Amino acid sequence: MVSDALAEALDLTTFWEYREVLLRGLAFNVYTFLAAATVSIAIGLAAALLRVNRLRPLRWAGTVHVELFRNAPDYIMVVWVHFVLPLLLGKLLGSRIEFDPFVSAVIALGFVYSGYFAETFRTGIQAIPLGHLEAARACGMSERQILWRITLPQVVRRMLPEAVNIFVSQFKATTIISLIAVPDLMYRVGMVLQQEMKPLPLYTGAALTYFIVVYLFAGTVRALSERWRNRIYA
Amino acid sequence: MSNWERLVWNQREVLLKGFLVTVEICLIAFAIAVVGGMLLCLVRLYVKPLKPLAVLLIEFFRATPIFVQLMWVAYVWPEIFGWPGTFFAAGCVALGVQSSGYLAETFRAGIEAIPRGHREAGYSVGMSPPQVFRRIVLPQTLLASAPSIVNQFTVIVKSSTLVSVITVQDLMFQALKLVTVWYEPIEILTVTAGIYIGFVFLVSLAGKTLADRLRLRYGLAAA
Repeated sequence: MVSDALAEALDLTTFWEYREVLLRGLAFNVYTFLAAATVSIAIGLAAALLRVNRLRPLRWAGTVHVELFRNAPDYIMVVWVHFVLPLLLGKLLGSRIEFDPFVSAVIALGFVYSGYFAETFRTGIQAIPLGHLEAARACGMSERQILWRITLPQVVRRMLPEAVNIFVSQFKATTIISLIAVPDLMYRVGMVLQQEMKPLPLYTGAALTYFIVVYLFAGTVRALSERWRNRIYA
Repeated sequence: MSNWERLVWNQREVLLKGFLVTVEICLIAFAIAVVGGMLLCLVRLYVKPLKPLAVLLIEFFRATPIFVQLMWVAYVWPEIFGWPGTFFAAGCVALGVQSSGYLAETFRAGIEAIPRGHREAGYSVGMSPPQVFRRIVLPQTLLASAPSIVNQFTVIVKSSTLVSVITVQDLMFQALKLVTVWYEPIEILTVTAGIYIGFVFLVSLAGKTLADRLRLRYGLAAA
């Protein structure tokens, strides 16, 4: 009985039959990830700059942002953004607003992971030797020039390994967007399941697909970023 | 303000019940994760023939999203292994094995960071290999990885929101149920999010305090 079930679970013909539908679902995971990652990097950098600002209220604002989003579970944030945020905005603007599930997913995952990026950016910024900044000021660079020419290039290289880990978590988190009906891979697996009633091969196939995608993605990005770092430092 | 009273304060017992289920699941999953992670790590390091299997399991647990793994454990494992029988158990096991993969790597890093001389010193005073492990390697590893272990608990709490999907009646489940009953998500979901954020915040604060204490007392735990 055990071996029968195992054979059924590993018999992926059903999974393969629906490969086109499922692959299109996986594309949704990738889109959501790319959009959310862009949002997180932008907001994370902004929050990190707040946290190293000279003005105390701004520093506090950055800290609140980081603590709020780093400690928030992905799922409740996705649900909150999808169901509560449109209502609040609607009250504010005096009209009915609804978010497309995809938009909610990008906002929620973008903001949650911006907290992690903010911390990574901040440690990178604070690790830059004071002498570099003083040298730049002595050459007459403006604060903005210092940020773009001296600080950020070093920060990006330093934070790459940690950033890859955050990207991997963020990509894995895109699976929960099926719960607010973004038609991603898991959502489509659920739909196929209603027709075929074969949870064993479908869920096993989904798990294996994600495993392979995440594993290859993480390995490739890690190798690329290592090579890039080595070339620059060497 | 009456909305808050009607939707949140009057439902406090339901929410509290859900929160207790959340805590229960997280604690059980955490126990599974620590024990399972240690086992996987030991097999990987010291049991040569089983090493590829342990590596495969660790990588699989780490690279699969928790939601996918949860569905997989809940719907596929009972058919293959005849276990876990309930969704509650499935939730605990899924959260536990996911984190055990991460903890196995944490423990391995801790064990490999112990200077060779410590072990050799143990042998030279006549300790057997199990004694060396129990008295010299294990305490240092646990101390060094204590902050990461606490951190992993916060990951479990965050992921535990997903067990509501397989109808385990945790805080998230109760909150979503209240939303479908009243059709007024603002107050309930905001409070629920606040509870989760506050809980995770307190746990990670405890973790940071613990790390500082350990560093002061033993000069360890550099993270």
